[in-house]
Amino acid sequence: MKLKKDSIAYVVIFTFVVSALFVTLLALANEGTKPLVAANREFAAQSAVLDALGIPYANKDEALRLYKESVRPIEGSSPRAYRAAIDGREYLAVEQTGAGLWGAIVIVMATDEKVERIRGLQIIAQNETPGLGGRIEERWFLDQFRGERAGGGVRIAVGAESKGTGDADPDNGLIDGVTGASRTSVAFETIVNDALARARAVAGGAK
Amino acid sequence: MSSKAMNILKENLWTNNPIFIQILGICSTLAVTNNLRNTAIMTVGVALTTAFSSMTLSAMKDLIPRKVRMIVQVLVISFYVIVIDIVLRAYLPEVSKQLGPYVGLIITNCIIMGRAEAFAQANKPGLSFWDGLTSGLGYMAVLMAIALVREILGFGSVFGLRVLPAGFVPWTIMIMAPSAFFLVAMVMWWAKNMQAAKAKTAAGKPAAPAAPTAPAKA
Repeated sequence: MKLKKDSIAYVVIFTFVVSALFVTLLALANEGTKPLVAANREFAAQSAVLDALGIPYANKDEALRLYKESVRPIEGSSPRAYRAAIDGREYLAVEQTGAGLWGAIVIVMATDEKVERIRGLQIIAQNETPGLGGRIEERWFLDQFRGERAGGGVRIAVGAESKGTGDADPDNGLIDGVTGASRTSVAFETIVNDALARARAVAGGAK
Repeated sequence: MSSKAMNILKENLWTNNPIFIQILGICSTLAVTNNLRNTAIMTVGVALTTAFSSMTLSAMKDLIPRKVRMIVQVLVISFYVIVIDIVLRAYLPEVSKQLGPYVGLIITNCIIMGRAEAFAQANKPGLSFWDGLTSGLGYMAVLMAIALVREILGFGSVFGLRVLPAGFVPWTIMIMAPSAFFLVAMVMWWAKNMQAAKAKTAAGKPAAPAAPTAPAKA
C-alpha cells in the first residue's frame, strides 16, 4: 500500500515518527550528559560558597579539596547553611533564594559569626537580562559587599543616587546598583536582607 | 567555491542581509547587543542552528507533507537549540550560566524559520547548510558592529577590556535597548544608501543619459 503524502494517515504517521525520533535523540543526549551536568551544578554551588567566604582557589581540584577541609554544612539546614573557620575565626554562610525580575536568584552569603559584617557574596543562579540585570554577577558589583557593615541591613542605590561604578565605603551599608537594571537591583536588596535575617537566625541556633 | 555558493554568500552578507534588508531577528538585535561577548556567543548559536536546521529540513523536504511543514520546521529548529543548550550545560557551564535565558530564545529568531521556508525547501542539503551559515554570518556582522559601538560608549570597553580612559563618562542609554533602535536604523540607512548609489551608477553607465525619472523605491 502506498500512502499519498497529503493523506491524513501519512500526515499522522509522519508527524508521529519524526517527533518520536527527535525526542528520543534529545532524551539520549540529556541522559548521556546528566552526570556531567549534575557535577557542574555541585561544583558551582561549592565554589560559590568558597567565593563568598573569600577562600581563594586555583582550579577545580583545589576548590573541592578546600571545600572539604574548611566548610562544614550545618546538618538538617534548609536552605543550606554552612560554618567555616578561616585563620582561626568562625564564619557563617547561608543560601538564599528570592524573586528577581525574570526568575529566581539564588545567592550564598557569608558573614562573621555575629552577623555584623558581610564577609562576601556570590550568585549561584540567576536568569536576569544578560548585559543589564545579569551584570549582578560582575566582580565590581559583588565586591562591594565585602566587609560591608550589615547591622541595619543593606540598601542598594538606584536611579540618580547610583554612581554605577561601585560604593567603596564599607561602613555605610550602601551598595551601588547596576545601571539600567533598577528592578533587579531592588530585588537583590530584598534577597540580601532576607539572607541577613536568616544568617541571624542561624547564628542564634536555628537550622 | 562555485559561483552559486559565492552568490549566496554575497546575498546573505550584503544584498539580502537578514537584518538590514529582510528586517528579521530584530528582537535579539535589540536585546543582546550591549556587549560583544554575549553578542558573539548568541550569533554563533544562531548561525549554527540556522545552518544545521536548514540542512536537516532540506534533506527531509521530499517526505514532509505540506500541511505539517511548519510544525516539522519548529520541531527540527527546537531540537538543535536544545542540543546547543545541553552541550553548553555539560561542557561550558560558565557560558551557559552567562547566557541563561537567551539560549532558549534562539528558537524565536525569525531568520532560522525564514531560511527554512525561503531556501531549504527548494534546495539541496549542502547548499542549504551554506545558506543558513552565511545568513547567520550576515546577522553576526551587523550585530557585532552594533555591539562594538554600544560596548565602547556604554561601558568604555571592548570584550570587557577597558579601552577608554577612566575619566570617560559612560553613555547609559547605550546599555539600554533604545540605543539599539537608533543604531539599527542607522545601519539600515547606510546600507540602503550604499546599495542605492551602486544601483544608480550601474544603471547609469550603459544607458544613455535619458530624461530624468523618479528614483525607484525599494
